[in-house]
Amino acid sequence: MRAPGSYMVSALVLLGTPSVAHAHLVNTRLGGFYDGMLHPLTGFEDALPWLALAILAAFQGPQRARWLLVTFPLGLLTGGGLWELVPGLSFVPALSVALIAIVGLAVATAILLPLPITLALGAIVGLVHGYLNAQAMTETTDHLLFILGVTAVGYVTITLTIACAIVFLQGKGNWQAIALRASGSWIAAIGIMALGLQLLAPAI
Amino acid sequence: MRKDIVIAGVRRSPTLAGMLLFYLAFGQSAFAHSGSATAIGLESGFMHPITGLDHLVAMVAVGLWGAQLGNPAIWTLPITFPLVMALGGLLGVAGVDVPLTEQIVALSGISLGVLIALRVRPPLWVAALIVGIFAIFHGYAHGRELPQAADPLSYGVGFVVATGLLHLCGIVLGLFIRWPLGERAIRACGAGIGCIGAYFFLAALGAIP
Repeated sequence: MRAPGSYMVSALVLLGTPSVAHAHLVNTRLGGFYDGMLHPLTGFEDALPWLALAILAAFQGPQRARWLLVTFPLGLLTGGGLWELVPGLSFVPALSVALIAIVGLAVATAILLPLPITLALGAIVGLVHGYLNAQAMTETTDHLLFILGVTAVGYVTITLTIACAIVFLQGKGNWQAIALRASGSWIAAIGIMALGLQLLAPAI
Repeated sequence: MRKDIVIAGVRRSPTLAGMLLFYLAFGQSAFAHSGSATAIGLESGFMHPITGLDHLVAMVAVGLWGAQLGNPAIWTLPITFPLVMALGGLLGVAGVDVPLTEQIVALSGISLGVLIALRVRPPLWVAALIVGIFAIFHGYAHGRELPQAADPLSYGVGFVVATGLLHLCGIVLGLFIRWPLGERAIRACGAGIGCIGAYFFLAALGAIP
């Protein structure tokens, strides 16, 4: 007869083997919203121009920067809606990469823009990124929730980044603006090369 | 009598064998790829300037020379370098054949090292021109790899950030210029960078196997 100890050991091994438990299934109910929230954070395509846009807004000062908290999320929302109506605009990816270079260059030069241009830039970046993020939706995705998720994460990201950049610029010394301008030159450099790849790659 | 069984060439008792089989049944996930394209592209781009000693010393030298030249070169050079480097990167992306790249990348180490060692202080536009010419060749060398990257944008982020951080290393080291000993140490660093550049230059010419 087998010793009870071996059964005990086997039972303990069985109980002690860890496995992942999923209390909530993220793909049901509000899953599309979470998908939309996470999608822009999974690559640099969105993060780079959003960061540059927030720093550029901070250079314009808090009074002007706060308007971007309205135009940018509205642009994201509209961009998502635009994709529903016209899903196959081929120039949007190249425009998205060009915006990385343009906004990066604006940060590198710390240029002071008129308010309408700042707002238009924010709206265009939002529009393009709302459109491109919406392209990731599938037939099973809840489109409204996904677009709302993208808009929500865009609003939170741009708000927090602008706030951080403004506080950073208000620090003692004059190196903060130089550091942010340097980061703008990095973003512009990445954008220039990515744009080159987008436009020149077929010729290789 | 208890019968032992053989697993992997070793005799084991049935209880132990059962436990091992039990563990084998709960296999862990195997990943064919150790990361996403974004992560792989970022890592390979970040490591590209760091793993090439000729690139590394030249980037540190840009920061060191900027610190030695003082304001406004200390921030003008590191801000303009990535932008000019991007133009060189475009040549690489477009597949343009730029000759003598390895030699000129090595020559950048020699030149910047000598300029630091001799504490040469040219006008700002001359310094920017020298650094800008070398930036094109460094950018070209990185840009050649860009189209083959797992995620070209992440690769670009990686190598631009690594380049910027190497400049920052040079600037931070250059802050020791305030002290006489530090100033001499920086000039010695310049001499060392020049020697490393000379080694790579000779290697690019085929004089060193």
